[in-house]
Amino acid sequence: MTELALERDVSTQGRVVVALAERALRVQLRRAQFLLPSFLLPLLLLAVIASGTSAAQQLPGFPSTGSYVGFVVSGTIMQGTLLAGLMAGIAIAGDIEGGFFDRLLSAPIHRVSIVLGRVLGTALIGVAQAILFLFVAWLIGADYTGGVGGILLTIMLAALSASAAAGLGATIALRTGSLSLMQNLFPFVFVLLFTAPAFFPRALLNPVLETVSVVNPLSYVVEGMRAALFDLPGLGSVGWGFVAGIGSVVLTCSLAVWAMRSRLRS
Amino acid sequence: MSTRGAAYAGGVGFALWRRSLLELARVRGGLLPTTIAPLIFLLGSLGQFGRLDQLVGFPTTSYIAWLMPLSCLQAAGFAGGATGANLARDIEAGWFDRLLSSPAPRPLLILGPVMAAMTRCLVPVTVILIVGLLIGPGLTGGLFGLVMLYLAAVSFSIVASLWGITLALRAGSQQVGPLIQNGVFVAVFLSTAYTPLPFLKGWLAIAAPYNPVTYVLQMGRQATVSGIEPSWAHTWPGLVALAGMIIFFGLLALRQLRRVDL
Repeated sequence: MTELALERDVSTQGRVVVALAERALRVQLRRAQFLLPSFLLPLLLLAVIASGTSAAQQLPGFPSTGSYVGFVVSGTIMQGTLLAGLMAGIAIAGDIEGGFFDRLLSAPIHRVSIVLGRVLGTALIGVAQAILFLFVAWLIGADYTGGVGGILLTIMLAALSASAAAGLGATIALRTGSLSLMQNLFPFVFVLLFTAPAFFPRALLNPVLETVSVVNPLSYVVEGMRAALFDLPGLGSVGWGFVAGIGSVVLTCSLAVWAMRSRLRS
Repeated sequence: MSTRGAAYAGGVGFALWRRSLLELARVRGGLLPTTIAPLIFLLGSLGQFGRLDQLVGFPTTSYIAWLMPLSCLQAAGFAGGATGANLARDIEAGWFDRLLSSPAPRPLLILGPVMAAMTRCLVPVTVILIVGLLIGPGLTGGLFGLVMLYLAAVSFSIVASLWGITLALRAGSQQVGPLIQNGVFVAVFLSTAYTPLPFLKGWLAIAAPYNPVTYVLQMGRQATVSGIEPSWAHTWPGLVALAGMIIFFGLLALRQLRRVDL
């Protein structure tokens, strides 16, 4: 392929990715069954946890971030992005069962673009979730001492988290092609969430969970969000958050492409 | 109702109950979602918020003792809600129309699913209880507390199934499934789910005392929370709350059933 043809190809595939991302967004935002879990459920849990467990601030060793809701909002963003990733997987499984996926495969587009389109669409949902959740938390008392820069870094980390979750959702959907199986994976999202210091500082987690959280990349992402929002390095490392986030995106998207190739071979 | 009428009603209810349970035998892992989700919440919440039991004035020194009845109630609610989702599937498939055209009195058509919910919830509740007892401090409330916990869970499954049946009859579509489960989720968590009333702050501190589930949880917590000793004072508010919810959602379900046209 000449350089010009390659460039044209890249530009065409870029347009394909954007078009598929737009479709993914439209489908997710149009249907209440997709919106309820990824937007309303995390907000509800934020409200419950912020009011129900705020006495935790009295525990020795609990970091001072002003209001408790400011501390837990990073966990809410993480929960939202994980659920958005699951919804992406459900949507792919629906496309497979409904036959739309076969039509995509017969089109002259790169396989990677199909995965990236869905991932990009979910990343944008992650951005919308982060903005909404941070705004709601601010309304009920959160004070982001990290400023606008910290908020922007948090939104970027949310986009990475949503992309990684979408990659994982796509991998499972492409491997199984089963809508009902994807719908039953809902509780397992909470395994990923609860094995990271989503709502409590790592030092105050149950000792078993504290050990497990070390190998969960989401731990570094959620701690990175907190460090960015409050400009407190003691809460985590923004740098490690990005390393874990980017690493997770690369890994899960590679797995999704591999799952698609396996599906095509079989 | 005459003896013959009661026997007929019992027979119809029993047949529908048996049909609901047969599904469990046919669909492998049918109870897994209603068991695994509350179990994950139990273990996850214990891992995240376990240190809350160190707060001065917390009514138990073991946080899992506080969470276990919550997870049991959640599991019972999900099992109850699942019968509503199954009814929605029967409506979509046309099976429910055949039942409506039968000579069976309409209230009996919801008796079967409610009885099935009561039976189905026993499996996840017992699994959660076993896991919780293996990790936690045991049954501080003895046999009375255990009976109260099961009574609270089974009764709450009736409430959830009536809520699910009402929505299924109204929507007539399986798409109502997430709404049924989210309703259970909201009812359970807008209460003393994570901490007792004195530790709640903000809007939840105002809302939780008005949520009947708060008192159902108190009734169930007599089994495991040492600070809530088994007593009538900790029991009757839960019984009243359950009776009120069963009557309210029962009337709603019957009203919706009357509106269903053939």
